[in-house]
Amino acid sequence: MDGVLIPTLVSGLLLGSLYALMASGLSLIWTTLGVFNFAHGALMTLGAYFAWTVTDVLGLGLGVGFVAGIGAAVIAGVLIELLLVRPFYGSRNMMLITVMTTLAASTIIERGISVIWGPRLKQLPRVIDGQVNIFGAPVSAHETLIIVLAPAVLLALWWYTGRTRSGRSLRAVGQNQDSAALIGIDVPRTFSLAFGLSAALAGLTGVLLGSIRFVTPGLGADPLVNAMIVVIFGGLGSLGATAGAAYVIGMMEALLVLWLGLYWTPSVLFVALIAVLIFRPNGLFGKVSA
Amino acid sequence: MSRLLDVSGVQAGYGTVPVLHGIDIHLDAGEAVGLFGPNGHGKSTLLRTISGLLRPSAGTITFDGQDITSAKPSAIVAAGLVHAQQSNPMFGDMGVEETLELSAFSPRARDGWKDRLAEVHTLFPRLAERRRQKAKTLSGGERQMLSIGCALMCAPRLLILDEPTLGLSPRLKGELRDAIAAIKDKGVPLIVVEQDVEFLLALTQRLYLVEQGEVAREIDGDNAPDHQEIMDMYFGEEAH
Repeated sequence: MDGVLIPTLVSGLLLGSLYALMASGLSLIWTTLGVFNFAHGALMTLGAYFAWTVTDVLGLGLGVGFVAGIGAAVIAGVLIELLLVRPFYGSRNMMLITVMTTLAASTIIERGISVIWGPRLKQLPRVIDGQVNIFGAPVSAHETLIIVLAPAVLLALWWYTGRTRSGRSLRAVGQNQDSAALIGIDVPRTFSLAFGLSAALAGLTGVLLGSIRFVTPGLGADPLVNAMIVVIFGGLGSLGATAGAAYVIGMMEALLVLWLGLYWTPSVLFVALIAVLIFRPNGLFGKVSA
Repeated sequence: MSRLLDVSGVQAGYGTVPVLHGIDIHLDAGEAVGLFGPNGHGKSTLLRTISGLLRPSAGTITFDGQDITSAKPSAIVAAGLVHAQQSNPMFGDMGVEETLELSAFSPRARDGWKDRLAEVHTLFPRLAERRRQKAKTLSGGERQMLSIGCALMCAPRLLILDEPTLGLSPRLKGELRDAIAAIKDKGVPLIVVEQDVEFLLALTQRLYLVEQGEVAREIDGDNAPDHQEIMDMYFGEEAH
C-alpha cells in the first residue's frame, strides 16, 4: 500500500490543482454576474489549440504559445459576454437563458475547432521535461509545475480581488449592482472584466492540460463538468471555498480510483458529494445562513 | 449663481408603469434643496433617474451644463453627481474601510482620497471603530453612515441623500442630521429627501413637494408657509 499511496496523493493534488484553476474561473463569473459559463471548457480547448498552432506549426516556442492561447481565450470570452450574455442583463430568466446561450457558444467553438484543426490528436510540449521526486514518488516536472502554479495563481487572484481597485470592484458588482454603479463603477465593463479574467484562467488551464492529455475538440468538456461540481460543492461563494472544494474533490477522486478503480469512481464520487450536501446544503464551505 | 442641476420635463417609470409625469426641479451652485411628499409618489424614482439607474422616457437632465439625460451611472458619478441610496446595504461581505476606499473609484475621486477618508472618520467616528467589520454586521444607523460616507468618498460636487434618517431612533436621527448640516457647511450642494419637513426647512433654502409624480409646489425661504400649512400639504386637509 505504501508504494501506491504517495503517488495517489500526488495525483489527487494534481487533479485538485487542475480543478482549482478551472473552477476559480467559473466561480469568478458566478460571483460577479450570477451565471454559469458553460463555454468555459470550450475556452480551455480553444486556448490549447491556439498554443499548439503557435508552438508546433509556427515554431515560436511554448512561451509565445501560452500568450497566444490565453489571448485567444480572453478574446473569445469577452465576445461571449458581449454577444451572448449582455443582451439578457436584467431579464428575470437571465440565469437560465445564459445556460442556453453559453452552451450554444460552447458548441459553436467546439465545432469550429473541428473544422479548422481537424480531428487528428495533437499534443503540446511540456513546460519542463524530466522528473521530480516527491517523497520518493517520481512525478513529471510538468505536473509538479501545475501543482506549484495552481496555489500561486489562486493566491494572486485572492490578492487581486481583495486588495486592488479593479479586483474589489468585481466583488462589489457581485454583491450589489446598483450600489456599485452609484459609487462610479461601470457595471457592464466589470462584467467584461470578469469574463476576460475567467477566460484567461481557462486558456492557461487549457495549455497546461494540453501537454498531459491529447488535445481534441472535447478537451475541455469533461473538466468543465467537474469544475462546475467543484463550484457548487464549495458553496457557490468565495474563491477560497471553490479552491478548498477543488482539492477535496481532487483528493477524493484519486483515492477512489485507487480503491475502486476508474469505472466506479464517478458514481461513488457523486454519491459522496450528494451525501455531504444533504448535511451541508449550502455547500462544504458555504455559509450556514444566507 | 450658476445652475448646477436642471431637471426638466422628466418622465420615467418601471416597465409600462409611469411614475414621473414631467418633473421640473433645479438647483444652483452652493444651494441645498429639499424634497418631500407622500411615500410612493416618485421621490426615489426621481433620484434613480437623475443618477442614471433609470432612463427617462422624456425630458432632459443637465448637470453643470452637461447633458446627462442618458449618461451611464458611472459617468454621472465621475462628473461629481453622487447619490446615496435609502437604507442602502451596500456590499454585505465587504469590510467598512474597504468599501470606503473602493468608493474613491472614479479618476476624479482618487486624488486626495486619504484626506477625505479622514474627514469621513471625523464625521462618523463609528465607521472608524467598525473599520474591519463587514457591512452586513452594521446596524441601520451605521449603514446610513456608511452609505453617506461612501458618497463623500466619491468627491461629490452635488450630493443627493435619499431619506438618510429613515427608521432611525431619535438620538441617531440627531447624529445624522448634525453630520448632514456639517456636510452642507463645507459647501457641498445638497438635495435631501426627508419626511421631516422641519428638518428640511432648517437645512435647505428651497423645498419641492412631490406628489403624484409631479412637483406640486415649490417653497422657498421668502414665501415659506407656516408649519401648519406644510403639514396640511403633507397629510392633506382632512387629516385633522
